[in-house]
Amino acid sequence: MIRLILILSLLLSALPTFGESKEHPDRLAECRSQVLQLAGAFANDGFKVRDSRFESDLAPNTPALIQVNLYAGNQYWFVAAATDASKKLRVSVYDEKGHPVKYEPYSDGNKAAAGFAPTISGPYYVQVQEESGAPASFCLIYCYK
Amino acid sequence: MAHFRLILLSLACSALLPVYGEDTVDLKNAIRVDSLTIPSPGEVMAALNKVAKPGWQSEYRAPIPTLYSSRAQIALNIGGLVADGYIALEAEDSQQIKNIGKDIITLSKSLAVSESVVARGKSIMDFAENNEWNALKEELESTQNEVKLALIQQKDSDLVYLVTLGGWIRGTAVVSNWIANNYTPEAAAILRQPGIVNFIREEMRQLPEKIQADPLVRTIADKLVEIEALVSFPSGKPPTQEEVQRLRDITSKLVEEISKKKE
Repeated sequence: MIRLILILSLLLSALPTFGESKEHPDRLAECRSQVLQLAGAFANDGFKVRDSRFESDLAPNTPALIQVNLYAGNQYWFVAAATDASKKLRVSVYDEKGHPVKYEPYSDGNKAAAGFAPTISGPYYVQVQEESGAPASFCLIYCYK
Repeated sequence: MAHFRLILLSLACSALLPVYGEDTVDLKNAIRVDSLTIPSPGEVMAALNKVAKPGWQSEYRAPIPTLYSSRAQIALNIGGLVADGYIALEAEDSQQIKNIGKDIITLSKSLAVSESVVARGKSIMDFAENNEWNALKEELESTQNEVKLALIQQKDSDLVYLVTLGGWIRGTAVVSNWIANNYTPEAAAILRQPGIVNFIREEMRQLPEKIQADPLVRTIADKLVEIEALVSFPSGKPPTQEEVQRLRDITSKLVEEISKKKE
């Protein structure tokens, strides 16, 4: 497990960052570390962690919505972590019309995840929402199997 | 380690309690990014593996040239080779992965982004040598991202997108070829991806005029109109075998065009 986390950390730390955040680099690095730690639990369960991430700023009542394109039959976990200013984070999933879908939630303070297994291939939307706390930055990755 | 057990336990508990989101969301503010909006070639292959047992070795192609004059064409081919790497990975063919790794390094050298990519390429060789398939899955996408990062650092970020595009075209050609030859409606339904093609077309319109004027890029842009129609079928109505064959023919032809060395 430790080896796996080390590999994941090395891989993700070398990535180009897609998205923009005004956060201090050290805090973002901590954010990435936390998101990897959580994703490591899924990798241990056979999920492949995508080697790409999205980072941006977040404020209460101003969620971020990101389009992903998923394949029927696969299982996905969308994993997010925010900087310390965020006290409660939530990740949720919506279909191509913006309607909520059934997903498995996980939330632990400034870390959260949503598990989803689409039965229809196509576009979906992942919402990262800060339910309490001050403006923060977040990092989002996903895993599939 | 204890922390991980706690996370796993929490996840196991949460898995018993699926929930629905609360309200419908407004999609007009949704963000689309190359990194997450376009799936990796490995994802569509994983989905196909769920409904069939493809013989991935039959989807190999002959080695492609590794010398091109157009930087756009090089970028497209690097993406295509990464997709080839996923195919070899599904076939668990370490020699094929090593060959592809070498070609990726050679092509990257012609973009002058080889330094960091060479290190990744060596990792690919090592993991392939030891049949470390899971690590290879990570390393293939990492290699592609390393190329993209180097392009961004060289202020050549317009080419980044073409790397992704080349991989998506090759991945779609391979999967649609297999489904066309082994048709079932269930497998064909995997090909429904209107969001990807719509995003790709929008991104292509943002490319600098010089790149858009590249004959190869123009050909791809033209063909994407028909590809979008073929992968935008309603969710309950998978494409017919003839429609999948048409998708296979268009994308396979594009793969040929992309890899063909211009006189």
